[in-house]
Amino acid sequence: MLPETAPFPAEQIATLNRIISGTSAEQRTWLSGFLAGFQAANAPQPTGAAPPARRAPLTILFATESGNAEALADTARKAAGKLGFAARVLDMADTTPAQVAGVQNVLVIASTWGEGDPPQRAIDFHAALMADDAPRLDGVRYAVLALGDRAYAKFCETGRLFDERFAALGATRVAERIECDLDYEAPAGAWIDATLGTLQAELGEPEAGAVIHVDFARSPAEVAAWSRSRPFEAEVTEHIRLSGSRSTSDTWHVELSLEGAGIAYEPGDSLGFVPMNDSALVDAVLDATGLADNEPLRARLLEQFDITTLTGSEPRPDGWQVIDVLEAARQPLTEAQLLARLRPLAPRYYSIASSRKAIGDQAHLLVAAVRHEAHGRARSGVASVDVAERRKVGDRLKVFLKPNTHFRLPNDPERPVIMIGPGTGVAPFRAFMQERDAVGARGRNWLVFGHRNYTHDFLYQLDWQDLLKRGVLTRLDVAFSRDQPEKRYVQHTLWDARRELHAWVQDGAAIYVCGDANAMAKDVHTTLQQILGEAALDALRREGRYLRDVY
Amino acid sequence: MSAARPPSPNESIKANSRFLRGTIADGLTRVETGSLSDDDQQLTKFHGIYVQDDRDLRAERGRKKLEKAFIFMARLRVPGGVLTPHQWLAAERVARERGNGTLRLTTRQTIQFHGIIKSNLRHAIRGLNEAMLDTIAACGDVNRNVIARVNPWQSRTHAEVAELAGAIGGHLLPKTRAWHEIWIDGEKHSGGEEEDEPIYGRTYMPRKFKIAVALPPHNDVDVFAHDLGFIAIEQDGRIVGYNVVVGGGMGMTHGEADTFPRTGDVIGFCSTGQAVDVAEQVVTVQRDFGDRSDRKHARLKYTIERMGLDAFRAELERRLGHAFEPAREFAFTDNADRLGWVQGDDGAWHYTLFVENGRVRDLAGLHAIAELDIGRFIITPNQNLVLADIPADRKSEIAALLQSHGLDTAVSGLRRNALACVALPTCGLALAESERYLPNLVARLEDELERVGLAQDDITIRMTGCPNGCARPYLAEIGLVGRSPGLYNLYLGGAFDGTRMNKLYRRDVGGDAIVAALVPLFRGYAERRAPGERFGDYAIRAGHIRATTAGNTFHADLPPELRS
Repeated sequence: MLPETAPFPAEQIATLNRIISGTSAEQRTWLSGFLAGFQAANAPQPTGAAPPARRAPLTILFATESGNAEALADTARKAAGKLGFAARVLDMADTTPAQVAGVQNVLVIASTWGEGDPPQRAIDFHAALMADDAPRLDGVRYAVLALGDRAYAKFCETGRLFDERFAALGATRVAERIECDLDYEAPAGAWIDATLGTLQAELGEPEAGAVIHVDFARSPAEVAAWSRSRPFEAEVTEHIRLSGSRSTSDTWHVELSLEGAGIAYEPGDSLGFVPMNDSALVDAVLDATGLADNEPLRARLLEQFDITTLTGSEPRPDGWQVIDVLEAARQPLTEAQLLARLRPLAPRYYSIASSRKAIGDQAHLLVAAVRHEAHGRARSGVASVDVAERRKVGDRLKVFLKPNTHFRLPNDPERPVIMIGPGTGVAPFRAFMQERDAVGARGRNWLVFGHRNYTHDFLYQLDWQDLLKRGVLTRLDVAFSRDQPEKRYVQHTLWDARRELHAWVQDGAAIYVCGDANAMAKDVHTTLQQILGEAALDALRREGRYLRDVY
Repeated sequence: MSAARPPSPNESIKANSRFLRGTIADGLTRVETGSLSDDDQQLTKFHGIYVQDDRDLRAERGRKKLEKAFIFMARLRVPGGVLTPHQWLAAERVARERGNGTLRLTTRQTIQFHGIIKSNLRHAIRGLNEAMLDTIAACGDVNRNVIARVNPWQSRTHAEVAELAGAIGGHLLPKTRAWHEIWIDGEKHSGGEEEDEPIYGRTYMPRKFKIAVALPPHNDVDVFAHDLGFIAIEQDGRIVGYNVVVGGGMGMTHGEADTFPRTGDVIGFCSTGQAVDVAEQVVTVQRDFGDRSDRKHARLKYTIERMGLDAFRAELERRLGHAFEPAREFAFTDNADRLGWVQGDDGAWHYTLFVENGRVRDLAGLHAIAELDIGRFIITPNQNLVLADIPADRKSEIAALLQSHGLDTAVSGLRRNALACVALPTCGLALAESERYLPNLVARLEDELERVGLAQDDITIRMTGCPNGCARPYLAEIGLVGRSPGLYNLYLGGAFDGTRMNKLYRRDVGGDAIVAALVPLFRGYAERRAPGERFGDYAIRAGHIRATTAGNTFHADLPPELRS
């Protein structure tokens, strides 16, 4: 509420307080965003800038899997708008190369997925572009921003292929492609600014800045504006190892308080988590490089740098990490030499396992601690083991919202959904079910879950029992791989239930898949193709009824 | 029996079960829970299957948003305990692939599989069925597995005793097709409505029913501990008939003096040809006269106490249509197993293998022996295993395998006469540890016995985790019955031949107090026993404990501090 000292007459303070006190948290969040935008729009303009004669068209074409490329496309649109472009954002999922052929200026922002694959939503566009009968792109001016992860072999493969293919089809490259690793924000932002500048210069456009576009439709989430560089410090209010004490896996349920954060997530969204490194590994890195006494460096390595992923391009033994290279070399390094080999520590993203409509200003996360042994050394997932081992109730986690608008419940509450989520892939479906329960959605819900052992790994078993009993969850199928001599996975369960699955799809069901991208999502995809037919599954995907959030 | 008392809830569950079907088949398809409905949990017992949970894990489950760690126990029906090597291999495979990797030999001469989760249950039962094994009526309110003296070295009498056990077991097997329908072929048999149970009727027995066949002078089956017992009478190397024993039973409830273990009464002699009919009519008298209101008083032993033995015998003879002949003379020497090699009357060899508490953990050695496909595997009522009918020219092969797998190690007199029930973590009734604790307690007692020179003397010690008596603790010279975690009632004075029960000696004692209570008795026994005198008999003669002469005086003659 406004204090008496607010710069308004007492009468206005009272009026405002009366209005504010009757609003919801969501309304207040919207209002704050509105006022911010209003302020920006009405700020004094730089003098001497004339409006452009006409606004140059710009198409920002993105291919996204996890939402990063889409977010960057939006950033680029805003920057372009400020420069006076008439910019539009286009999802490759919603367009074809033929539609791009007639376009003048194109920024391509494309992420690479898994082992060099295009994002699932961009498969059709990619295929059409690579096809022999792809349309010519003469006259198109373009530049490519590629996103990737250096931890994978074919870094930024999709962006590279788009870049080469656009050129081969006759388009004109206006800027060299940039390939961004996980810490893409700063380099991508700089490249966007530079590339737009180049484009503008080529077009002979006047200096921009005259037109400021006020986006009243900005979502509250954007307004809250917590980001990887400015995360919200969420208190851990619950921290439970869901895996039974005899489980061979180690999965944790973490409840976070979002009170005061204004993080208005939706089921399907993720939270980014900014982790801290394992201090023992930091010490090992410092020891191996003769930098053990450098306390300030120690602090930076703990929080700012990725001290596991190798960045160089020279060949290394499979499974080597930074420490293996350092220990093999046994060579003193300067601080600068060490840091030059490291990339910034990237956040990790976890699907939210709850609905605000059910639990209020909190978020639940489901985190599987990743551990393995390689080359005689125990390896730990940076973020997952940080959450599992080093955080406890009362600690704070640095988080920010990562919306995933491509993985949402159907708008129609009557539409049936089939949710395939083994392992931690079940997290968003717990959110879905909480949401559908809270709003009284009447659509049928079918969950397919899988893990290793029924007795020890049935994540959220009591929740599913309750949802079944109350009729919110219509059907549950499970596959536990290690309970019997033959391995059994979710795709086997789907195959066994193929008739029912067919019937549900006939009834309009949307299919969601979440979890492991490498094996599970591919096997499930193949099985769904076998059950429904390739064309039918493709059609479902185009209709937005086959959605995946895989990692 | 007062007409005003309502039947126990189990009676309507049975009556409405469509001959033991209930909703088991549907429950097996419900993947959200590893359990079955409450009513179905009662019905699966008739199929030899218990719903249990891993009690070691109970405390953590709810917080982890997991239900109890439900697991099933399945119990074979093996009349006389006889398996072929092929059947042993099938059982072992089920344990490895579908259970917890162990086989549990029981005091009813059968095998229990523990730790089977619901999704594996049908596979497990089918795996057994493929080897011509089943679990029908291994638990529940029916006649359970019929046990019989293990004496393959007396080939003719063993065959006769085993044949009777098989004949009675077969005759009293429930006729419903429910077991096959639910576990094996999945075919519906029109809801069982046209089925009939000519012996049991729709509500089966008031409570479990147990039968044993003994062959003097060895009482390895503890023939007085069962609802019905047959004591073979041998003449010139042939069995001419059986003394009939009725009304034995081990179970009781702590703090309820009108519940007690009871040794059966010998009521007469019948010919071999009459034995199956006797068994059927004892079953029908109990079916009609047993208490169906209070399951704690439903066993035959309470029916007989209530009716009086004479009235019971009269009703039985009326149904049989003839009177029993007077019981013949018999004498027992022991209720134990003799370990090691013995050559039979037909020249074949037999090896009685000590299996501590019946738990076969290391499956490899017996797997190798079974792979040879020689002879038979016979489970004893003392939870041991006899490798029977080994031709003389294959004996060394078996002996070599026993040695290379470390199966032929020598054990003390106390340990080879020790029995424990399963108890924690799987049994839902357990109040205290048994199988996991008795070996440690025996080790402490072995030290004391060694000190007084009794290391190789046979003394029976039996422990159960609750008062229901699965390891027949009330017939041991030293009986230990769980009261609460770490605490036991200590009973002394049982007869070594299984003819007399023990009596309460210490209440609620832990390991230290048990050892402290027994040490002076061991010393006294070593110093002052009469020639051939058994420990249980000595304890009575020396005045440490009063003899229990009948079930209804089990709780009597206690010193004031032990009366409840």
